Amino acid sequence: MIIDSVTESKKRMSSDVTEVILPSMGEGIAEATLVKWLKKPGESVNKDEPLLEVSTDKVDTEIPSPASGTLLKTLATEGTTVEVNATIGWIGPQGAEIPAASVKKAGASAGKPSPASPSRSGTGAPAPAMTRAAASNTSATTFFHDGSITLRSSPLVRKIAREFGIDLRRVPGTGLGGRITKVDIEAYQQNPMAHMPAGQPVAAQPPLLARVSTQNANGQETLEGVPVRREKMTKMRRLIAEHMVESVRVSPHVTTTFEIDLHKVVEMREAHKKSFAEREGFNLTYTPFLIRAAVEAIKKFPVVNVSVDGDEVLWKDAINIGCAVALGAEGGGGLIVPVIKNCETKTLRDICKSLNDLASRARSKKLQADEVIGGTFSVTNPGGWGSITSNPIINQPQVAMLGIGAIVKRPVVTSDDKIIIRPMMMASLTFDHRVIDGEGGAMWLAEYKRVLESWAEVP
Amino acid sequence: MSANAFDLVVIGSGPGGYVGAIRAAQLGLKVALIEKFQHLGGTCLNVGCIPTKALLESAKTWDKLQHIEELGFQAGSPKYSWDKIMGRKDKIVDDQRKGLRFLMKKNKIEVFEGHGRIAGKGKVTVALKDGKSTTLETRNIMIATGSRVRQLPFAKTNGKGIMNSDDVLFINEVPKSMAIIGGGVVGIEFASLFARFGTEVTVVEAAPQVLPYEDEETVKELVRCVKKQGVQFETGAKITAIEDMGKDGVKLTTAESTRIFAKVLVSIGREPVTDDIGLNTVGITTDRGFIKVDFATYKTPCDGIYAIGDVIPTPMLAHTASAEAFHCAEVIAGKKPHKVNYEANPSAIYTYPEIASIGMTEKALKEKGIEYKSGKFPFSPMAKAKIEDATDGFIKILYEPKYREILGVHIVHARATEMIAEFSLGKVLETTVDEIAHTIHPHPTLSETIMEAAHAALGAAVHM
Repeated sequence: MIIDSVTESKKRMSSDVTEVILPSMGEGIAEATLVKWLKKPGESVNKDEPLLEVSTDKVDTEIPSPASGTLLKTLATEGTTVEVNATIGWIGPQGAEIPAASVKKAGASAGKPSPASPSRSGTGAPAPAMTRAAASNTSATTFFHDGSITLRSSPLVRKIAREFGIDLRRVPGTGLGGRITKVDIEAYQQNPMAHMPAGQPVAAQPPLLARVSTQNANGQETLEGVPVRREKMTKMRRLIAEHMVESVRVSPHVTTTFEIDLHKVVEMREAHKKSFAEREGFNLTYTPFLIRAAVEAIKKFPVVNVSVDGDEVLWKDAINIGCAVALGAEGGGGLIVPVIKNCETKTLRDICKSLNDLASRARSKKLQADEVIGGTFSVTNPGGWGSITSNPIINQPQVAMLGIGAIVKRPVVTSDDKIIIRPMMMASLTFDHRVIDGEGGAMWLAEYKRVLESWAEVP
Repeated sequence: MSANAFDLVVIGSGPGGYVGAIRAAQLGLKVALIEKFQHLGGTCLNVGCIPTKALLESAKTWDKLQHIEELGFQAGSPKYSWDKIMGRKDKIVDDQRKGLRFLMKKNKIEVFEGHGRIAGKGKVTVALKDGKSTTLETRNIMIATGSRVRQLPFAKTNGKGIMNSDDVLFINEVPKSMAIIGGGVVGIEFASLFARFGTEVTVVEAAPQVLPYEDEETVKELVRCVKKQGVQFETGAKITAIEDMGKDGVKLTTAESTRIFAKVLVSIGREPVTDDIGLNTVGITTDRGFIKVDFATYKTPCDGIYAIGDVIPTPMLAHTASAEAFHCAEVIAGKKPHKVNYEANPSAIYTYPEIASIGMTEKALKEKGIEYKSGKFPFSPMAKAKIEDATDGFIKILYEPKYREILGVHIVHARATEMIAEFSLGKVLETTVDEIAHTIHPHPTLSETIMEAAHAALGAAVHM
């Protein structure tokens, strides 16, 4: 076994003193027994020369020296168990000083208390800090449900998860051996956002930065020479990040875009917006029209309204439209997707009311947990900020998302070669190529366009 | 550390205390165990679970001998020796005591024989058998002093005519007649025992149902079977006086009548032993004798003092105490054990037939307004039940209709107690009825009935 000592042990100080760290010896090996120091304190050692022998569950090996110099001090004695990443010694020029604080800290984490000593807190050394693991570029072993380990739950929990479409990797397990129990999934259902343990990744270990950040002379952290300020993501931000990465991993995304003439919709809205606002107490926007048209298109081409489970497709009778709402500064930033349930039975006016209710409660964070799950198709509308066209990421476990662009007046050439001004809009359908082919996506958008261009329903 | 300084002192060596002591020793703690009675093992081993089950097994054998000709044997007219039956019981108990002594030695647990009392934080004094006293210093104390039989205020037991469950285990002959006051687990087990040896047994219970914490349906079946063994039941009875008249027997007076019995067994429950263990020195108070603890750690309000088993308000069962003590020892050793799962805590009654149950009864489900369904299957059609000549009884699975989570299981059968553990595991793993039905059970066994009850719950039992 070849161990690159240079990447594992690194100089931690401005002087030439190098910390000797027990390097990672492979996946799943958390500790090793120090069999023998091959050098005594005071002896000199060359870089990459065997320095000590260790024994693990899997292998016995020699650890090469991370630097040339004198072995100044050894912090772990022969026969003790040492955790990977623990400091076990120091190498430097003869007579160089070792910082007292470091010695103390390293000493405390090097050996395990012997089982005979009656200690109430006999749980061994604290785990190495994340920054350390990141610095040595080893992937820290985690207890989280990252898909690579078998997810432990129960038959009951799996039934509940299936019914509500809950991704069990997101549910922290508190049962025996991390098993997800009924109590855990119920707590998660109550409050999916708040249920993340503080300071822990949501599900998968978030990928670390590919490049190691360093510190400049002022002690400021820099990335590729650029000074940076480190800030913890909020729970919601972390959830979004994880969901997006997961969605791209799971679904092959394809986007197709149509240009749609909205003059009938604009005329309808203009004709009714005053009376609507007086009657309903809120403004009539375009989004309900755009959702209502999507429902009609889904009824004709329901393949965009399914989920994929392994090699099976789950067809859904309900059309529940998720509508992405940016929470803005008022809502503390981030994004939430409330779901308008059973749109297949709703009129345009019903959808107006539901959307207004959900969006305003989303911004004031008063949504119920079941109002953000169960969506079967989603719509996002960055057009409100002027975006012409977009390329959304699918909201799992759905298979398609409609991105709506800004409504812009454009010169349009009619079939009889006249140039007229029309309110035009780009509509992009991003779909999961596992179940929807280019033809299916285009046919859906063509139907969507047809509905909007022939609009007749009164709001 | 001086010779009398410990990491943990356990007061009481029953199935709670000794298990806690062993677990703590396994985890590297220096442990002392204090026992005030002559033998280790507490109520369970000395005057509880073990001796009663030994006698009940003898009753089962005797009962079988009565019908031995139906099974094709000629055994003349069978006889029994009560002395030898008691001797067998004593030997089993004694073997187990020796085993316990060995376990203490093996785990280097220091045993102090005497009455242990807390004497302030980190101190326990032991009034030793030889009249001397010693004080142990300790970081932690586990109170595991258990429980004792409860007395009737107007009729103290005297070990002669009026007995409690401790006394009756040493009774020198089978009495001609016996009134058993209290139809709880202990009372019903002794009723089933003595009735089969020919005693005319009358169970006198104040409540409308005997075994009030068990499911009404299994109790009804048990009562039906036990009545066939000759036990008479008087429920809703009010006892006004009990008088031991020496060799003329014991006079029992209820609101309805006055009768003479050879013996009266008082089995009206148990109470925690917490009155003389020095709780006042550390300011721990009790509620009806029970010590308040945090059920995740078994910590009392006093730092460094823990309590488990019958002295805390959880089910008074040996296996419950063991589970609590095991957990508590791990907490004391600095581990973070998983909480004891009281929903998966089975109960067992060793009458003939036995009752074993876990989770909620139908009555409790109704009272809590929890929606449930029931899957039930009798033992009578099962081949193995016929082979074992034990066709009485049934299994009933109560489950939540949507996900079919198992809410309660009630088994009444000659070997019910050996079958309930499947559901203990099932509860721990949150198994639903579907998995039970899907699990292959060996044929021919009684356990197939479990699978059939699950199939019945799902709407299609095979063998019915």
